[in-house]
Amino acid sequence: MPDCTVVVITYNDARRLPRAVRSVLGQTLRDLEVIISDDASTDDTPRVAAELAASDPRVRYLRREHNSGGCGAPRNDGLDAAAAPYVMFLDSDDELPRHACKSLLAEIERTGAEFVSGQISRLYEWNGRLHPYYPSLFARRRVVGGIREEPALFLDSFSTNKLYDVRFLRETGVRFPEEIHYEDHVFAAGLYAHARRFAIVPWVVYHWHRERGGSSISLSIKDMENVRHRVIAARRSDDVLRRHGLAGLVPDRQYRFLRQDLRVYLNPLPRRDLVWAKEFAAVVRPYLEEIPAEVYERVDPMVKVCCRLIMDDRAEDLRLAAGCLTGPRAAPRAAVQLGGRTYWGTTVSPGLDITRLRLAELPFSAARLRHEVTELTRDGDRVRMTVHTYDPFGALPVGWEAFLRLGRRRVPIHPRPSGDGGYVTEVAFAPEGACEPRIGFTRLSDRLTTTDRLIVDPAMRPIELPGGTLAPEGHTACLRVRRPARRPALLGRVKRLLIRRIGTPATKLRAYKLLIKVVRPRPDLALFESDVGKGCTGSPRALYEELRRRGLPIEAVWSVARGKAPDGARRVRRGSWKYVWTLARAGWWVDSHGFPLDYPKPRGTRYLQTWHGQGIKSIGFDAPDLRTDFDGPRAQWRAAVARWDALVSPSAEFSRRFVPSNGYTGPVYRYGTPRCDALVRGELSDDPRRLLELPAGKKVLLYAPTYRDRAKGSGRSVRADLELMAEELAGDWVVILRTHPVERYRPPEHLLHFVRPAGTYPEINDLMLVSDALLTDYSSVMCDYAITGKPMLFLVDDWDEYRTTERGVYHDLPAIAPGPCVTTTEELIARLRDLDAGHAAHAGRYAAFRELWCADERGDASARIVTDFFVRSPA
Amino acid sequence: MNVVFACLDADTLGGIQQVTHTLAQGLAGRGHEVHVIGLHRSETPFRYVERPRYHRHLVSRAPVGPRGRLARRRDRRRVRDLLGGMRPGYAVLTSPSVVSRLAGLLPERLRAIGQYHGSYEHASGSWHLGSIRKHYPGLEQAVFLSEDDAWRFSEGALLPNAWALPNPLATWPDRVSSLTGPRVLGVGRLEGVKRFDRLISAFARSGAPPPWELHLIGDGAELDRLRAHAAREGVAERVVFRGRVPAGEMPGEYRAASLLAVSSEHEGLPVVLLEAAAHGVPAVAFDVSGGVRSARPVLVPPGDVDALAERLGRLIRSEHERRRLGAAARERAEAFRLDRVLDRWEALFTHLDR
Repeated sequence: MPDCTVVVITYNDARRLPRAVRSVLGQTLRDLEVIISDDASTDDTPRVAAELAASDPRVRYLRREHNSGGCGAPRNDGLDAAAAPYVMFLDSDDELPRHACKSLLAEIERTGAEFVSGQISRLYEWNGRLHPYYPSLFARRRVVGGIREEPALFLDSFSTNKLYDVRFLRETGVRFPEEIHYEDHVFAAGLYAHARRFAIVPWVVYHWHRERGGSSISLSIKDMENVRHRVIAARRSDDVLRRHGLAGLVPDRQYRFLRQDLRVYLNPLPRRDLVWAKEFAAVVRPYLEEIPAEVYERVDPMVKVCCRLIMDDRAEDLRLAAGCLTGPRAAPRAAVQLGGRTYWGTTVSPGLDITRLRLAELPFSAARLRHEVTELTRDGDRVRMTVHTYDPFGALPVGWEAFLRLGRRRVPIHPRPSGDGGYVTEVAFAPEGACEPRIGFTRLSDRLTTTDRLIVDPAMRPIELPGGTLAPEGHTACLRVRRPARRPALLGRVKRLLIRRIGTPATKLRAYKLLIKVVRPRPDLALFESDVGKGCTGSPRALYEELRRRGLPIEAVWSVARGKAPDGARRVRRGSWKYVWTLARAGWWVDSHGFPLDYPKPRGTRYLQTWHGQGIKSIGFDAPDLRTDFDGPRAQWRAAVARWDALVSPSAEFSRRFVPSNGYTGPVYRYGTPRCDALVRGELSDDPRRLLELPAGKKVLLYAPTYRDRAKGSGRSVRADLELMAEELAGDWVVILRTHPVERYRPPEHLLHFVRPAGTYPEINDLMLVSDALLTDYSSVMCDYAITGKPMLFLVDDWDEYRTTERGVYHDLPAIAPGPCVTTTEELIARLRDLDAGHAAHAGRYAAFRELWCADERGDASARIVTDFFVRSPA
Repeated sequence: MNVVFACLDADTLGGIQQVTHTLAQGLAGRGHEVHVIGLHRSETPFRYVERPRYHRHLVSRAPVGPRGRLARRRDRRRVRDLLGGMRPGYAVLTSPSVVSRLAGLLPERLRAIGQYHGSYEHASGSWHLGSIRKHYPGLEQAVFLSEDDAWRFSEGALLPNAWALPNPLATWPDRVSSLTGPRVLGVGRLEGVKRFDRLISAFARSGAPPPWELHLIGDGAELDRLRAHAAREGVAERVVFRGRVPAGEMPGEYRAASLLAVSSEHEGLPVVLLEAAAHGVPAVAFDVSGGVRSARPVLVPPGDVDALAERLGRLIRSEHERRRLGAAARERAEAFRLDRVLDRWEALFTHLDR
């Protein structure tokens, strides 16, 4: 008896059947049987199947006499014929990854489950990419004691990504219905209704092949019959649950219908014609009307709006609303604001309430406008375009100017009032390379700009121009310019290839090492860098400004990854050949992190290391990246530190910790921190209130969490529940969210009325000066902030983990924190409401904290260090 | 059955190499044909097995390090020639770098088993996790040091083929420690990853009365920093830096000790923990990996120095408790005896043949 039976169903698919069968025969589990269950194909399938059976004794061929029209009957045939104790199902156009059978078999034997379900993944055949289906459902490997424990699993209603205990299926009589499509939805409902114990595994066990413009049943979504079947399957699935005493779970299954089944048709709806939309609405309407109101409150408000429009038979509006579901989620043409609530369209109804999206409260620079291209024609090498702009939330002020943005280019435009509250623009332009055209409005009162994409007719034919091809993109049909499909000239290709070959980091380093042997550093050239080229800020910037102020005869070059250098300085791109040259030529190096670690310092160059913060976190050889099992990074850092000629130390505490933990032995400047001079003097470098649109009358909370060493770039350092904070505090507070430079996080649109993302805001000092309080966890920003004397709060929910395994610390933060330490957002909200009392209660600690870290800050650090380093010391 | 082990460098002194030669000799003793391949020459070769019953091969005479394009191509050809002549069986690739270099070169009749000798926690903080996620699903089996690690890799690297096999104890001692010597033992290179600074602090705070001492066996770049640290903690005289001790003298060291402490930042399945247990020496360890947990020492939250001090202090004060835990440790260590581990390897081969 084989360990596992795999039933491969097929109908007129002789071309792909061998691929599917071979994916089973090539499994790491060898002891299995393949049953090809043929739904009476009329093509070459019998011959192909016979060949497969002849080639391997593990293959059996079953054939129905009459075509059943679906997948249910052949699957049932295969199930009845299965000889093994476990069974899997495979469609002839798909494949099993090679460990699928053995891994699921081992799991079902280990857990004693009734079935095991694994990750199903779409495989796009045109680029070979895998796209997993709802990976969060499968992320944890686990045993589930019945669907009641996790009703979210209704989203997994496939029959193919599972291995079943055959005896369980036979005893419970769970089978596939034979007269409808989406038989697996009903099958899955039966499965979930009966199963007491099933297992979930996180790895991919099924490759669901997708061809461009594929034609398998589940994809022919244009077919109205298909919609009908899906609704019937949904009803029958609900009935299965009710029959088995699980009526309480029906809303969860209906939620799945709204979130998944309906979206399959809603997403591409803007591309369908009106007749189709109307008929579609008629088909799904009766089922939607049965779904209780609370289920609609669980889904995306725009899905709810679409359902309302379906029920109200407003097909035209439905197509518009469906365009707000995907991609950039286009703004509506109109919205009504009444009694503090916002409604989609021009009528007020609870089903059209989109207040939760907070679109009407966005700050101007994030405001949503709708730009519909009503005409687009070719005119020689250019296009002429007419755009209708809608301002549904009344975001545009009285005075503005407008432009069309094409990549880096801006074309001024002159929108005229259209008479319906919107604007009409006529513009002609020639694209120059790939871009996503946007229309921008700049407010004259404060020069802030808001931009939004252009929406075109989804049926528009691409317009090919020498400078690029204009075409609609995505279901929403945003206008996009693609690169002209031209082959670059041979010379250009050779040049690019050479540059790529020669321009590797390794060759640059080799060239540099040669270079510093032959050229001498210039005593009148200084190279500045801060944040590894991420900005022109921090102590290097303060020192640079001081250098300029004094007019010292030293030319300054800034190393920047992206963006501009400060006025009066030349810019080199970090990592470029020019950068390599400047490193070799500069007689002065000033930075706050470390110039490329493998680059030895040229003889005669003087290197001032300013560092970029002080605080409780472990550092240098005590920090996790240098405590690994490899010796390489430690040796590299030792050599890098040996390059420093002087180090800025902000405090005695810094000298006590940082200096030995990096093995540094050279001179130390104890004059305070150049970066903090502006804080001591209270000098803003720009106008953050204007740039971040901080509303007058609201208090400003600066939220600056540090990164987590094991989750850089994950966004997981933002641990406060911003949703809850917005709900509770948005009336009085606005939050400036300053994430760490190595972190990546973008707040969702519906929080932008409350949160101002400022991760890339050029100068953090300005944010500190403009704020009323600081919220952080373990960031060094707390030491700088103490200079301001303003209240601080600490969200330390992962303190023990951070202290022991994540990073390691030198101080017991909860014991020395100059403000309340909290572990939940609820507690945080309570403390913010009672900010002054908490601040007053921590006055003693605040003073001690300042004494420890900020005693040397007098506002003249830049001046004294420039004197000592650039003027007194010989270059 | 034919079993081929491939190491980046098969003859340098190190954990992976020791395990590989022990297993190779053991499997050869059970009648398998065994080969050990080193991809690079060792600069300081070490002889693990006096009379090997397995075949040994060297691919390149250059030591581990960056290689030119031509040299890499030559290496690949040599590997292909070498493996091409082998009989059907299994190829055990002992680390992520060996997997990424050899996986594409194996003939079909040699089925690839990829090992990883670190913990999931360590992999997730380095390039290893990405490499494992990319290359290991393509192997027949991915083998980790403990059930716990195998589970975590199946979730974190989405591996369908994760399996657990512990490291073996090369020998089984007849004599055990008397547990009366006033000595706490720490064994390992004096490098940041071992965090002996935390062990020294914990020893200082444990309240251990004289003549109790902490003996650290091993050498490395951190010696001076650790000495200074011991002085700061006020235990300079009671922390003894013993330097490197030859393998043959280690049983004596275990017998002279009453406690072992493992304070590392990262560990896979530390052999010292198993060897100490085999000598009946109880251990206190930071709970840093599935491997450490599988040896069942007294566990302390990772990095929690005060908790480590407290547990050390309690065991230092109670000989009775040391005896109880020491006997349990030796019993537990039975599971890591070479014969038991070889049984598990053969069970893995059976699973592969299903």
